[in-house]
Formats: sequence, structure tokens, C-alpha cells
Amino acid sequence: MEYRSQKIAYWYFAAALPLFALQILLGLYLAFSYTWTVPQSIVDAFSFATARAMHTNLLVLWMLLGFMGGTYYIVPEETKSEIYSEKLAWFQLIALLATGVAALVGFFFGWTQGRPLLEIPSPLDFVVVVGALIFLFNVAMTMIKANRWTAIQGTLLGGLVFLALLYLFGMPFYKNLVIDWYYWWWVIHLWVEGAWELVTAAIFAFILMKITGVERQVVEKWLYVEIGLFLFTGIAGTGHHYYWIGAPRYWLWIGGIFSALEPLPILLMLLDTMNHVKERKAKILNPLTWTYAVGCAIYHMIGAGVFGFLHTLPQINYYTHGSQVTVSHGHLAFFGAYALLNLMTFYYAMPKLKGIEVYDDSRGKYGFWVMSIAMMLMGLFFGVAGVLQSYVERAMGMGFMTAQSYMRLWMGAVFFVGLAFLGGLLTTVTDLLTIRPAKARV
Amino acid sequence: MTKKIAFWIFLLGTISSSVVFLAATWDTQRQVAVLSNADKLSDRVVAGKRAFQKYNCNDCHTILGFGAYYAPDLTRVFQRIGEEGIRFRIKDPEKAFANSWRKMPDLRVTDAETADMIEFFRWVTEINNNDWPPQDSRKRLSRGEQAMVASVGVTPGAAVFQSKGCMNCHSLHGTGGTFGPALDTVGRRLSVERIEHYVRDPKGVDPGAMMPPQKELTDRELEEVAKFLSSLK
Repeated sequence: MEYRSQKIAYWYFAAALPLFALQILLGLYLAFSYTWTVPQSIVDAFSFATARAMHTNLLVLWMLLGFMGGTYYIVPEETKSEIYSEKLAWFQLIALLATGVAALVGFFFGWTQGRPLLEIPSPLDFVVVVGALIFLFNVAMTMIKANRWTAIQGTLLGGLVFLALLYLFGMPFYKNLVIDWYYWWWVIHLWVEGAWELVTAAIFAFILMKITGVERQVVEKWLYVEIGLFLFTGIAGTGHHYYWIGAPRYWLWIGGIFSALEPLPILLMLLDTMNHVKERKAKILNPLTWTYAVGCAIYHMIGAGVFGFLHTLPQINYYTHGSQVTVSHGHLAFFGAYALLNLMTFYYAMPKLKGIEVYDDSRGKYGFWVMSIAMMLMGLFFGVAGVLQSYVERAMGMGFMTAQSYMRLWMGAVFFVGLAFLGGLLTTVTDLLTIRPAKARV
Repeated sequence: MTKKIAFWIFLLGTISSSVVFLAATWDTQRQVAVLSNADKLSDRVVAGKRAFQKYNCNDCHTILGFGAYYAPDLTRVFQRIGEEGIRFRIKDPEKAFANSWRKMPDLRVTDAETADMIEFFRWVTEINNNDWPPQDSRKRLSRGEQAMVASVGVTPGAAVFQSKGCMNCHSLHGTGGTFGPALDTVGRRLSVERIEHYVRDPKGVDPGAMMPPQKELTDRELEEVAKFLSSLK
């Protein structure tokens, strides 16, 4: 830690971690509901829908907290100045947490906008927007005052502004369901395959530069090419969600072609990371941070790149659309691209914020491997269930519940690897919150 | 490659993709009214959409393939189970799903909201969305239905059975729904007249029956389907 105001990042991270654990608990309830019968009286009080709204909103909440914390950590070092206003950063953290808790409690009592992933009711949406504006103002003012622009800063700020702008498209009530889904994807797709990729590419480049000691010029050059490709494939690639919603037929072509190219920037990012490893100039002090970085690049490629590509072409998507195949891709991609990236940031920054140069990673490495393997298995089990569903329900035309009974075994397996994942996560959360210096090696 | 060239790659990539995307968005906005029959988007349909959102239906069900995957897709639900089928499930899920190992919550939806939601589903069913989902496609018989038709021969009654959504609840040769009893040997138990009577007014025959009365069948269709079912022995 070089700047006092970086300290605020610690509290963003510390707030994010328990929310991640809560997300997984709810995920277990969902997997349980898929496999075993939940009695009517419990379903009436706490439905799958409510738990699912919580599961997905917790994901967004903890990840956004991670990105914001990451931003508050990086910006002082990049601009070589303190954050414009620490008070605003604190205020915004508390406001976001309070909104999140209000939303979760509200879901329980049926207070919802009722659109998947965007369940947060309109009044709370406005609080979110105000919070986002404060955050952007704080970050932008820090950068403008320092006036030491770098590609990393530009990408970060650009990604955050894009992220906030897109949120607005999810707020109105759309009368026409087709239009509703059309703009719903402006938030969901353009977030995860646009704005979030920009933010995380910037964070990733920064940490890679710091831990490998590779020159800024080289890192930033590849950063431009990567985000260029991300946006080139990602923006028009939104079309792969418009095949079956009642949009014109040419979306099958636009979506198919652009999204088939979507693995390219991820592949480039992976090769680029491997290259930096080879040409590193600094000694790797903390192997676990490093494992997270490489793991993130590989997992990102598998989960988002490979699993995304597998069902993005319309000929295949006609059968897999809206099945557990999507769930498989969603879990692997979010874990690979965003959960591991956040955890890498936490492992990079949290020890430094506590003044620890080399940390003890004896517990943390178990956390990493248990989570990574459990999630990979989970993705495969969801995938098997999804292929069964596509075949039995879609191709054979048998009933929904007939297909579900074939999938039951695999959804049960998901529940058990989910338990293992929770074990790995609790180890990681404990480790991060009580991180200690490594015993001196002679 | 220099950093300057890299920057131009970024700029050109972003701008070209945005131009394609925004141009297609503009054209989509123009065409969507026709593809979705926006002229039939009445106040009741909109009220139905509001009710659909109010009860967070979309976090268990998919519609147009989006949402949660816990419960059946609702894009063609109106075509599949009809007005009465929808009302029965929304109003009394405990009874409707008594035999199912997966339950639907009783959300105490009012009668007016249920009626609006039915109008909403009626409108959604007509959206021209490249014939998705495949299992509800009218253009292509699903393979299960083909096998069924081939094994029993194409009688008019079999066609009615297959096209009027009976198989959403009942099964033949293991194909179809598990909601109602399998009908492979129904002809051993029930005569033509008995079946006709039952399909028209299930509760009149058996007060505990859960099947909704099939008011939409014509007399001719009813006669044919009853003949077909009574031949299954």
C-alpha cells in the first residue's frame, strides 16, 4: 500500500466475501429443489423464484463491490495521487450495501420488478444509479485532478461509464415482451461481454504488470488489442440472444458470426499472460496470487470461450436455448472470468493493505483447488443435464417433467459438488480475512 | 506492432461493431411491430405482463427461452394447455401438482390477474420467433409424436389426441406428460360413451377428478378421440 486512501478497498473486499458465501448457500437450495421434493408449505413461503433472485443478485452485488474495491486500490497507484474523496467512497459503500440488503429482504416479501437478474424494484434502482454516479464522479475526479492518463486508467473509466449507462436500459417497464428482452440484453450481455470485460481487463493488466515486472508499454499495447477484440465481437455478438425472441431473421447471421469470434480475445489474453510469465522480470513473491492469475486466464477461456462457443451457433442453439446447457456455461464463465479475477485481486491487494509483503498461502491454495475442481465438475454435470434436456424435451418432444426426471441424477450431483465448493469458499474467505505473513524461509 | 497501431485496432473494432449493432437495432425497432403483432397488444395483455412480473413467474419459468429453467417454458403455453389449463395451475397449484415431485407456489393470484395473464400468454403464443421452441413447433411433429402416430396408425382420433395437447398431461408408450394417468390401456377400463362423458365433464363422472373440462373440442373431435382411446387395450 502506497497511498492512505487505498485502505478503503479493504472494506469493499471484506463486504464482498460474506455475500459470496451467502450466494452459494442459496445456490445449494436451488440445486436441492431441482433434485428432491420441497413440500408445498415451504414452496409457498420461500419459492425457488425468490431464492434464485437472491442467488443472482448476490452474485452481481459482491462482484460489483469487488470491482469497485479493485478500482479504489488501483487508481491511486496509477494516478500517483490520493482518491478525490474518501468520504464519498465510504458513503457509496454503505449506500450500496444498504440497497443490497433492502433488495434481498424485499424479494423475500415479494417486492420485485419481476424480471430475471433485474429484480431490484424501481425505487431502489434510482438509489443504485445515484450510488454509481457518486462512484464515477469520485474516480473520474481523481483521474482528472492527477492528469496522468494511462491506458489502464482509460479502460477502467471507460468500462465503468459504459456499465452505468447500460444499467439505465433495464429500468423502464416495456409493454412489448419482445422489446423488453431486446433491451434486457443490453444490460446483461453488454455488461458481461462488454463493460465488465473492460473493467476486468484493466484490473488484470495492472496486476499482471505489477507481479511480472513486464514493461507498461508492452502490457498496455496488448490491453488495447484485447479490449478492441472484446468490443468488436461482443457488441454485435449480442445478436446471439436475438435468435428466438421475435426479432428479424438476420440476427441469426449477425449473432452467429460475431459471437463465433468471441473466444478470440480471450485466447489472446491467455497467450499474452503465458508470454508475460516467460518474460517476467520480477521474482514471483506470492505463488498463490500467481496461480489465481493463470487459473483465471485458463478458466476464462474454458468457461466463457469454449462453453460459450459450443452453443452459440443458431443450428445448435435452437435445441439448447433455455436449457441447463446455458446454466453450465453461465456458471463456468462467471466463475472463470469474474469470480477468479476478483479473488486474484483480493489476494493481491488484501495482504498489501495489511502491510504483508509475503503471505502464508498454506490454507489458501486448498481453497483455490477445491473451488476450481468443484466448479469444473458442476459445469460438466449441468452440461450433461442440459444435453439430456435438449434431446429428450426439445428433439424428442417428450414432456418437460419427463426430461427433468432423466436429469435428476445429474442435478443431485451438482448439489454435492456444490457442498464441496462451499467448503473451498469458506476456507478462502477465512484465509483472506485472517491473512498472515509467511514464516520466513531460510 | 506499436502501441499506436494497437490503439487504432481498438478504435476501429469498437466503432465498426457498434455501427452494425445500432443499424440493426434501428431496423429491428421498425420490424418488431409486425413480428410481434403489436396491434393486438391490448391493455389487458399489458396488465397480464404486469401481473406476470408482479409474481416473479420468470424466476422459475422461461419465456422465449429466458428466465430460470426450473419450470416449463411459457412461450407456447396457451397453445399447449389452453385457457382452462393455465387457470387451473395458477389458481390451485397444490391440487394441480399433487402428483408431481416438483411443486408450484400458491401465490394467491386474483381472478382478474389470472384472466389478464391468460390474455398475455395468448398474445405471446402468436409471436413470430423463428418457430422456437422445437417441442411446440406446429411445423414439425416431434419425434415422440411421430413414433406414436406410426405405432397406432393415423386415425382421425389419434390426430386429435396429438394436436389438442392431451399429451401434455397423458402419455402413450412412455411419451407425453406425467401430469395425468398413462392411457396405454384405457380402452380396457372405459367405453366410448364413458370417455366422451369424462372428457366433457370430468367432475361429473368423478368428483375428485383434476382434469379440466375440454370445452374447446367439437362434437366430432370428441367422438373421434373417444373412439381412438377406447381402441387402446
